Amino acid sequence: MGIIETDQLTYRYGSRRGIDAVGLRVHEGALYGFLGPNGAGKTTTIRVLLGFLHGSTGMARVFGLDCWTQSARIKQDLGYVPGDLRLWPWLTGQSALNMVGAIRGRELATPGRQLADMFELDLSVKVRRMSKGMRQKLGLILAMAHDPKLLILDEPSSGLDPLMQDRLLEYLRTVARRGRTVFFSSHTLSEVERLCDRLAIIRQGRIVFDGPLDDLRRQAGHEVRLRWNPAREIPADFDRSIPAGVRLVSRDGLDVHLHSSVEVVTLLPWLGTLPIDDLALGRPDLESIFRAFYQTDAQSAENGGRR
Amino acid sequence: MNLGLIIRALREMLPTTALIAGMLGLISGLLAYALPAVQARFLQRSFIPPGLQQMRNVMLGVDSATGGVADIAFSIAWSHPVVLILLCAQAIIVCTRVPAGEIERGTIDILMGLPVSRRQLFLSESLAWVVSGGLVLGAIYGGSFIGAMFIRPEYRPDWSNLAMVLVNLGLVYALVGALALLAATLSDRRGRAVLFVLVIAVGSLLVNFLQLLWEPAKHVSFLSFLHYYRPIGMLQKGAWPWRDLAVLGSGTLVAWVASGIILSRRPLTTL
Repeated sequence: MGIIETDQLTYRYGSRRGIDAVGLRVHEGALYGFLGPNGAGKTTTIRVLLGFLHGSTGMARVFGLDCWTQSARIKQDLGYVPGDLRLWPWLTGQSALNMVGAIRGRELATPGRQLADMFELDLSVKVRRMSKGMRQKLGLILAMAHDPKLLILDEPSSGLDPLMQDRLLEYLRTVARRGRTVFFSSHTLSEVERLCDRLAIIRQGRIVFDGPLDDLRRQAGHEVRLRWNPAREIPADFDRSIPAGVRLVSRDGLDVHLHSSVEVVTLLPWLGTLPIDDLALGRPDLESIFRAFYQTDAQSAENGGRR
Repeated sequence: MNLGLIIRALREMLPTTALIAGMLGLISGLLAYALPAVQARFLQRSFIPPGLQQMRNVMLGVDSATGGVADIAFSIAWSHPVVLILLCAQAIIVCTRVPAGEIERGTIDILMGLPVSRRQLFLSESLAWVVSGGLVLGAIYGGSFIGAMFIRPEYRPDWSNLAMVLVNLGLVYALVGALALLAATLSDRRGRAVLFVLVIAVGSLLVNFLQLLWEPAKHVSFLSFLHYYRPIGMLQKGAWPWRDLAVLGSGTLVAWVASGIILSRRPLTTL
């Protein structure tokens, strides 16, 4: 059984798309990245999982429990940091811990202080006097102090300095090693790449990829950059000679950039026939793969705008 | 019920409740101290300006030139516009906090991310509303009691009759609070919810005031919740106004249940 399971999960904001037929399965102990551009549907998915919104159709379960009808039970073992974290301004860090502890029916002062030491947060400061980074740290402490089985973090590192980001990621790795599950939503791939072993990419409300990072790299094919021998001219019909599964990305003088979705062994014989001076062949980095998703989104938006 | 939620709600509204309860206690005390003497002098006068007489009659719903000093004076004190406005303001402030206030402030996500059901949230908020109501109503009664300690004994009201008025006023507070709760569950903006209840409250005050001055207002006076709050009858006769209590009570119940149903079904997220 997955810790998080959704199937054909759909939510619409009136006539506006929220998420469409989202299917996810997150297993226990996973460090699961949930990636997508702004407005892709990450927060909507999380809000359905937390029972803030009732999915229009489809199924959403956490710990095998229904996200809408059994939401309160689910959240006993869940810690959540919202993307746009706001806290009650009249609270201090300590009183926030006491209040959340009272709501959870657990003593959170001691583990909260340990986490505050780790994040270097002064718990005596009132929320209204805290900087964005301090509030973010407090939000993380409140979500993690009860050592939940599942952490749902919606862009948790926003506002944190690089040192604190490292500490957060290290802490999340530690909790995952203890069998806790982390569902980590972000729009920056580097963060997910550093932390997660599996990820889903959501675009325009639909899951366009779900699997291990290596699968994403494999699906992305190969980048081929070659430099033509200066002694030979690039034939005029070069574009037409490119085999199926290989696409010309750009050509700048003697430099040719290709993208291949075929196996390397299939590609090499064709490359061997070309008068190449230099060749670089490899998997594209994740950033460029993800950027391609972003660009597609931006193009769609642009086309939509023109229509 | 969730103890943490109750503590949160009480703690959040304690400063406002303390302030309003303090003001109401002070005003009630001053009115209880000053009005009986004013009423006694009023009854001794051979000529009373018709405008003033009419205003008082409108406010009380009876002829204020007749009847006991204490009954008239405490009726005026307990239906004084400042008292009613402060009481309504307290109900509106407390009952528009959840969910509209939390959504507007952006704290609903963190609140609903905790292991609380919507039912628990609703019941905790309702309890906090009742507790705050008890505090402000207690302040009015306490203020009257303290103020009356410094007046002549014959000017003091029958305290059990005044307790009836307290119950009636409590139901006015409850109805305004329930309407505020309903508006807050229907809206994502606290300002809109406040405006909605303010329109009803001000409309009620206005209709109640106009009904004895202007004939057409009489036909719609039953729509004003103050139509069901007449302290003078209780103070003079010592009889429970069952019909008025039933109307206010059922209005409160309907609005409260509707709020609970809406809250259990509506999306709860920041905007």
